[in-house]
Parts: sequence; C-alpha cells; structure tokens
Amino acid sequence: MKMNKNGQMRVIETILASFIIVFALSFANILAITPTSQKYEATELEKLGYNVLHDLDEQGLLPRFVYTEEWDNIIAALRVTLPLDVYFNMTVYDLDGTNVNHKPISYGYSETFTTSKNIASITYGLVGYPIRTNSTYQAAYDPRILILQIARG
Amino acid sequence: MKKLIKHKKGQFVIIAMLMIAIMIISVGALMHRAVTYYKHEPWEEYLTLVGNIELNSQRLVELSLVNYTQTEENNTYILRENLQKWQKNLTRIYLGYGTSLTYELASGTNYNYSFGLARHWNKAASFSAANVNFTLDIASIGLTGYKFMATAFLNLTILNTTDNEINLTVKGEDETSITNLKEDNFQVSNLNITGVATHYDKKEVLVYTIQCNGAITEPVTVKVWDERGIQVTATGP
Repeated sequence: MKMNKNGQMRVIETILASFIIVFALSFANILAITPTSQKYEATELEKLGYNVLHDLDEQGLLPRFVYTEEWDNIIAALRVTLPLDVYFNMTVYDLDGTNVNHKPISYGYSETFTTSKNIASITYGLVGYPIRTNSTYQAAYDPRILILQIARG
Repeated sequence: MKKLIKHKKGQFVIIAMLMIAIMIISVGALMHRAVTYYKHEPWEEYLTLVGNIELNSQRLVELSLVNYTQTEENNTYILRENLQKWQKNLTRIYLGYGTSLTYELASGTNYNYSFGLARHWNKAASFSAANVNFTLDIASIGLTGYKFMATAFLNLTILNTTDNEINLTVKGEDETSITNLKEDNFQVSNLNITGVATHYDKKEVLVYTIQCNGAITEPVTVKVWDERGIQVTATGP
C-alpha cells in the first residue's frame, strides 16, 4: 500500500513536469520570430533589398544604370548580387509618378509576386547623375524613385 | 524540518524540488535564447535608409558643384536651390517615415565659401569646393539630430612646364591624389594633348605629365574634370 502511494505521487509529478515543459515551450514559440515566420522573412528580404541597392549606389553603378537607361545592366547587377532563389521586380518613377523604365526590370516567375505571402517592397531615391557631352557635363537635379519588390521563389 | 530531511519521503521531495528547479531554469534559459536569437532589430532596417539619404545628399552636393563649375558664370545659388528641392522631395520619396532634413551652407572660411560653394580659378594652385552640414530626423524611429557633413573638393596645381610638357597635380578631399584621370579629363588652351603620364613624387605623391603637340608658352591654362564631373581651371606656373 505504501509503495502504491509513492508510485501515484511520481505519476502526478511526471504529469506536472510535462505540463511545465509543454507550457514553457509553447510560450517560447509564441515569442520567438523564427526564420519560417512571415514577419522575419519580410524583414530579411527588406534588409537584403536595401543593402543591394545601397551597395550598387555606393559603387556609382545604380545612378549610371538608371540615368543612362541601362535596364539590362540593372537586371544583371541585381541577379548577381541577390541570392538565386530571390525574384525581383523593379519600377523606376520620376517625381511626377511617371514610369521611366519602358522595359521590365524583373527576374523570376511573375505569378510569384501575386501568390507569395512574403513580398518585400523597398523604396530607394536617387538625386541625379552627371552626363558628359563633349567637354561639358549636364548635372541637373532630377530625382528618380526606385520601387524594388522582392520575393523568395 | 530535520525530521523531514531525515525521512525517506522528505529526501524524495527535496530531490524532486531540485529537479523541477533545474528544469525551470533550463527552460527559462532556452526561452531567453529563442527570443533573443531572432529578435527583431528595427534599427538595422533604417541604417540603410539613413545611409541612402546621406549618400544621396553627398551626391547632390557634388552634382551642384559640377553644375557650378561648368560655366564661368558665378551661379552660387544652385546648391541652395537643389537642397531646397531635395528637402521637399525627400518626404515624398520616403513617404510615411517622417523624414526631415535641414542643412547649413558653409560660408566664409579659408576657401571663401558663398552659399556652400567656392572656386578659386586661374591661379597656379586652383580649386573648386562645396561644403554643407546636414541634420536628419526620422520620426518613425525616433531619430533626431543625426548630423553629417557633405563636402566635395578638387584642386589643380601646375608645378612647372618644359618645352612641350606640363607637370601638375590633381587632388581631392583630404589632399588625396586623384589617380584615375586620362587624356580626355584634361584640356590645355590652344594646344592638343598627345599623351598623359603619371609618376611618383616624394612630396606631391602623384604627378601628371601632360604632353602637348606644340611648344608651351607660360603661363599656360589647363582645365581638368574628375570622374564626378567637377571642373577646375588653373593658369600658371
């Protein structure tokens, strides 16, 4: 009888301990932003997009490509700098909101941008670019707004 | 208590309590690690935004200096006009961020700035310069009073001339030698350039030698454009 009582107590303790573990793990799961969660993925893509555009801008490539309308070079540069499974779609606007790129600047399946749950949209501004004609430079303030949408394919 | 500890049941209770305590601490540590490892750091997202505004403000200062140095006219208002537009457009480009950019144009100093721009040309040592101090606020992240300076500078010094060669130096910000200039970056008045060579000099670091197709008469006038398009005209020696 005495042995039986000890056994029952241990069973109750085990159940209680299991409850504590399950409760703690589920609580941790609620708080944690894991790589599979939507919030984490969108933020990561946003950071990735900003960094890529900023790097290209720092090297002086982005303004050159945009203002001399080298759209193929933008696609090549983005494809090289972004991971292979990241699809992108970029649109270049002037200050009036007119679409400047008459050729699509995109890579990947277009339906990804309509079906994917995790799409990051990055806005990036450029002020202008000096263009040389003979021995003079045309350096007018002519901003461009770049909207880059990226999603994982 | 002593009786409880000595008792077999008491020992079991103590061991059980210790085990539960260890378990709670372990789960707590695990939870803490799980939460902080993937912690969302909003500042990281805005670092590139701040970097973008800073970089493009610098570009605008350079662009305005390019514009200012293209003609002999002294349009010193170009930088102020461009900055006013940039200030206004910034809120439109980065909608919803609450960005506010204020600026202070350099005035006076040893370069004799006027509305942030200066040029001292047609001397043996000539230069073009621009200088603006910015203050950036981004309300959405509570960033206020982020200060940065944007400068652009190009110096051209004619050192000496020989029969058909001109030795000169071209320096940028912080007196660093500009290394990537080619034939089409220079122009010599009344003469054609046949070649541009560089050599190391102990004092000047990098000296350009411009070969011309005719005899040089002093003083000679030389124009230079750097890769950004900033121009300087020097006459000398």
